[in-house]
Amino acid sequence: MLDFLINLFIIASIFAIVASSLNLLIGFTGVFSIAHAIFYGVGGYAAALTSLHLGTSLLLALLIAMVASALFSVLLALPAARVTGEYFVVVSLAFALVAFTVFSQWTPVTGGPAGLVGIQRVTLLGIPLDSNEAYLGLAVVMLVLVTLVLYVIIRRTPLGRSLQALRDDPLAAQALGKNPFRLRLTAVLISAALASTGGVIYAGYVFFINADSFSVDYGVLFMAMVILGGAGTLSGPIIGAFFITLFPEALEFADLPSELKGPLEQIIYGAALVILMLVRPSGIAGMFSGLLPKNRRKGGPPDAPEGQPAAGGPVTGAATATGGVA
Amino acid sequence: MTSPMLELTGVKKSFGGNHVIPGLDLTLKAHEVTALIGPNGAGKTTIFNLITGFLKPDEGTVVYKGQGLTGLTPENVFRKGMVRTFQEVRVFGGITVLENVLVGREHGFGSWRKTKENKQAAMETLALVGLDGKAHTEARDLSYAEQKFLSLARVLGSDAELLLLDEPTSGLDGRSLDVVTGLIPRLKEMNRTVLIIEHNLDVVRSIAERIVFLESGRVIATGTGDELFARQDLADIYFGGGTVQ
Repeated sequence: MLDFLINLFIIASIFAIVASSLNLLIGFTGVFSIAHAIFYGVGGYAAALTSLHLGTSLLLALLIAMVASALFSVLLALPAARVTGEYFVVVSLAFALVAFTVFSQWTPVTGGPAGLVGIQRVTLLGIPLDSNEAYLGLAVVMLVLVTLVLYVIIRRTPLGRSLQALRDDPLAAQALGKNPFRLRLTAVLISAALASTGGVIYAGYVFFINADSFSVDYGVLFMAMVILGGAGTLSGPIIGAFFITLFPEALEFADLPSELKGPLEQIIYGAALVILMLVRPSGIAGMFSGLLPKNRRKGGPPDAPEGQPAAGGPVTGAATATGGVA
Repeated sequence: MTSPMLELTGVKKSFGGNHVIPGLDLTLKAHEVTALIGPNGAGKTTIFNLITGFLKPDEGTVVYKGQGLTGLTPENVFRKGMVRTFQEVRVFGGITVLENVLVGREHGFGSWRKTKENKQAAMETLALVGLDGKAHTEARDLSYAEQKFLSLARVLGSDAELLLLDEPTSGLDGRSLDVVTGLIPRLKEMNRTVLIIEHNLDVVRSIAERIVFLESGRVIATGTGDELFARQDLADIYFGGGTVQ
């Protein structure tokens, strides 16, 4: 039972790392990417290849993974950073499908459909992390580090402020000298590099990886974790990742008729997600926003005060051309 | 201090055959408050969009302090030293009031090293509009009037020399109106030049040193408030028959 729980918490922590990284885009830049399973995958493959060819050093694997993932993300960012909203989703979906095909077919590097086997458990500064308890510690520390990095970027740097300005109102951000393309590109690079660390932890845990762990399904799942937990809050994606990982397992303990157990679990799980989104559209983290004085709520254009015109979202194309002609 | 700061020459813009700006010449003098007035549809905001790079002129040139701006993106126009507001408040709702002002001050990789100075300058700017007490409030939690003040503080805090203000008093009244009308004439002392779109003619009269009257994208009169408000023909255009008080 303890091993089962440790395993679950390791996986949930890994997912939380990826979801938190994705939140830099969804929650703080206003860019919806469905491709984050790919950067998680680049991290996984980079760690596997490092382990197979260069040794078990965690720090080396992290370094290689983050650089590789950031470089790879340029392929997504160059075409996608010029667009936002649903267009970015579509471009990122196409990118995810192509990259997934590369993962599953580039046999000399990724092992093709059979994947890569024989990955060793990583060592940290020469210390082996053989036990699952130690590995859970590693996963949690990594999650804390990623969250800290995100906190510093978002709350303490001009870059973080600019990204949120771009999220809240791209036109006003441009009028104040912000280059939307450059900012989105930077956000994608950082986010992809951070997401890859989740892949490194994953590869070192399961000893075997193939493309199935990095499919578009996972991309959707990471997005769901961010939105369900609360986009634009630091805790939201972590809560979302743990909820989505642990809730189906918790249902295992529910007293459901055995012949319908599988489908019923799926239905309850799906219904819970729908109800949560209906009741708490700003995510689970939003439930606590009233309790914590400094907590920031989900991003989006400010609500218009009563009796005043809404502060418009981004206006594009012809609407900009003629919009507001006095 | 009367050198031309901004010069629009032969600027034309049409949308699908509709000649919104059929040919515009406009000159702004440094350290002056100029008001663009005219009936709805005169093309005032379109002119702002053409100056600031949100729209490209079909023909003509926009020259700012001797440098051509035509074809530059909005962010590059900003970097030349010009900033604008919009008719809508357009604050960055999810970040604090102070951060809103910082966004307009922080540019380039080196800016994180100057955070302390920038915060101090931003607080001084917020004090000008009475928002220093709410520096750490999220902008979405401000009242409408406060959001208007913040959008003004944001452009003031940016250090740009030329400020284009699109209806900074719309929706304001009483004391909140006084905050804006009291501040704009002081901008000259802060080395600023102002071009303002304004519908409230009392405001125009009290703050504008020069008024440019537009109709259908053309300048049909330029002068001081006393000169223009005395003309019945302009009042007829503006109000469709009424009188300017």
